[in-house]
Amino acid sequence: MSSNRSFDVTGASYFDGDVPLPRNVRTLALTDDGATLEIETDQGTVSWPAGSVRRVSDMAKQGAAILRSTTDPLARLCTPNPFVAAALPRANRAAPPKGRMRLAGWALAAVGAVAVQIGILIPLLADNLAEYVPPAGEQALGDATFEQIREVLSETGTNPIPLCENEKGRAALDQAVAKLTDDRGFRQDIKVYVLDHSMINAFALPGGYVVLFRGLIDAATGPDEVVAVLGHEIGHVISRDPTRHALRSAGSIGVLGLLFGDFAGGAAVLFLTERLISAQYSQEAESGADAFALELLAEAGINPGALGDLFETMRRKHGERDGVAAHFLSHPALGERIDAARAAEKDGANYTQSLDDAAWEALRNICE
Amino acid sequence: MGVEFVGKRGALFWLALKTGFFTILTLGIYRFWMKTRLRRWYWSAIRPGGHPMEYVGDPFEKLLGFFIAVVILTFYIGIVNLLLMFVSFSVFNSSWVGYLASIAGVIPIWFYARYRARRYVLGRTRWRGVRFALEPGAWGYAGRAMLYWFLTIISLGVLWPRMTFLLEKYRTDRTYFGSAKLLQGGRWQMLYRAAIPFVLALVATSGVAAWLLLIDPVWPDTLSDVDRAIRSVYLLLFQDGEMLSMNWPERLFLIPLCMSALVYGAIHYRWATKRIMANHKSADGVRFASKIKPPRVTMIYVLGISLSYSVLVFGLALLILLVIGALGFDAVLGDDIAVMADMPQWLSFVLLGALYLGVFLLWGVLHNTFVTFPLMRHMALTTTLPTASGLARISQRTRDEFAEAEGFAEALDLGAAI
Ligand SMILES: [Zn+2]
Repeated sequence: MSSNRSFDVTGASYFDGDVPLPRNVRTLALTDDGATLEIETDQGTVSWPAGSVRRVSDMAKQGAAILRSTTDPLARLCTPNPFVAAALPRANRAAPPKGRMRLAGWALAAVGAVAVQIGILIPLLADNLAEYVPPAGEQALGDATFEQIREVLSETGTNPIPLCENEKGRAALDQAVAKLTDDRGFRQDIKVYVLDHSMINAFALPGGYVVLFRGLIDAATGPDEVVAVLGHEIGHVISRDPTRHALRSAGSIGVLGLLFGDFAGGAAVLFLTERLISAQYSQEAESGADAFALELLAEAGINPGALGDLFETMRRKHGERDGVAAHFLSHPALGERIDAARAAEKDGANYTQSLDDAAWEALRNICE
Repeated sequence: MGVEFVGKRGALFWLALKTGFFTILTLGIYRFWMKTRLRRWYWSAIRPGGHPMEYVGDPFEKLLGFFIAVVILTFYIGIVNLLLMFVSFSVFNSSWVGYLASIAGVIPIWFYARYRARRYVLGRTRWRGVRFALEPGAWGYAGRAMLYWFLTIISLGVLWPRMTFLLEKYRTDRTYFGSAKLLQGGRWQMLYRAAIPFVLALVATSGVAAWLLLIDPVWPDTLSDVDRAIRSVYLLLFQDGEMLSMNWPERLFLIPLCMSALVYGAIHYRWATKRIMANHKSADGVRFASKIKPPRVTMIYVLGISLSYSVLVFGLALLILLVIGALGFDAVLGDDIAVMADMPQWLSFVLLGALYLGVFLLWGVLHNTFVTFPLMRHMALTTTLPTASGLARISQRTRDEFAEAEGFAEALDLGAAI
């Protein structure tokens, strides 16, 4: 066995991968065809194909190398001599991959599990369970989330965002709500609040909460439009959409927190609130609430077309920009919803304005 | 046989920064590689008998483990959370029961995951080519941990050393190096002496509290009822104009002193118990000796954390100045969230996300450099193997094939320092 290149072996030791005792390396050489690394130790000689030798990476000690062969996953050659690794053709290559198909399989399974969970299981379970939450439970859920939303929207960061409770405005609002709800015996009392915030939006919460933003009242061109929105939100309350939504979020947040680890921890609460405000209910839930509102308006002798007017106003004023009335504008079928509202407007029917001008003025100033 | 520690802090800093940066670029996926590489570096720095430890964990394996854990845990966490919330609202009319139950439900999994993670790390650690291993037994560990915690709590902490000892014994007695099995000797009562500083600090704190509030009150006129006492503390803290009449207020300086003593007591307990138990670990023909110095560890924590913290704050301040410079002052101090709303939503998400991740990255890098590195070094340099003749009788053991690696720990976010 002739070797044309041998290395300085001072401080080198070989581990056979069985006994934790170093073997003294007597000589270390690359055969003359450069194909084999010969390691002569006290207890015999080991030959590694030169192309199979890899250097273990991310070592703390500069210069020194730990070498291993892909033919023997356990044996190690430790040498402080940096020229050994430099002479080997593939020392810095990564080891051949193994089990990548299995990895891909589990990756797909993980994505699938999350998708099934968030897309199918949680909604299904939430929808079914929502029917069984007793009114007192819905009330508690609504109270908690309403407070949370008010705190998150707060601009000062210390006090929750104020409710608009101007006496005359409140009376006008109650009058409008009474027009829609009187004598209908809904399964839940409807509680309507106005938040002093410029966002053009409204949302419903479990427990009969219907919340309007001041921005929506400012944007409406007449009382009927506001009343139409009330009708729509009441529709959500009656069909328990907010309760479903809250339960879904409770489940989904846990799953998302799991995926994103650290970063989602703090953001989870914000995210939950954001989702509740710009609640994106299903398309059926939205058209259900629309249909409910149109019927309610017609029964109360108010022009159902007002709902379409409001959608139209908002679309004209704000286009499809997000952050504004996401709840109303996000659905691609907004045009259809406007048409449906217009179609509910019967020719020759005798509609009265829901609030007289004085009451409307009072409602507009509810936040004063 | 002594243990050397090689490696430069600067090299570690760059490795942590580089891998952390890739982690951000890949939205967190690279963190499996980051952890693997950092561990590889640390392990190789620790050299018992002049030969480096070797970490052979595979990032792909860790990624796979994470996916497996996600598949299993999503169902548990998603569905269970939803059901708990439902029950909480339907039966108790409040969310608190649900939150508490959902946290309580994760606790056994948390212990389970810790044991599994340790099993993986040991199973992928080698020295002189020979594997370490931890026998399976994660549920047994979780069950015992819950039981010992319960006993610790109902005994008001008196049985804490028993918990520390028995949990460590459970892990040690299942640890192997090659064919050699480790054994945790000693008794749990021997850990009481590690608790002496903490107990003294506790006694001193109680004494000081009694002195300041009852025996010779700092606020003599507020003794009558608790409400007024709390209010006066509030006034003292937040309303500098209206100082209450105080009796010998210099004594309030004792409060931070007591707090520091308690913190020191806790750190001392943790590391002194490690030392005591290490001195009672053995295998056939191998003994360990540790000279960990709790005061030194405390210094490392105090200096390291304050240094990391100041660098982090300085870095953040710099970042905010840069943002102000780039976007103008108004964009940063706008009077409401309208500015954020005007931006396309994805952009504000990306910006916020990048900031969030940046802070995490920087903190991780600094913590590695100024806390983990000196701790590891101290631990390595204070450990010796006075008897090592048994090594000649040890032989290799088979590989612990371990599909889900540290997946559960990773998914539940208990990755610890490295
Ligand atoms: Zn709606």
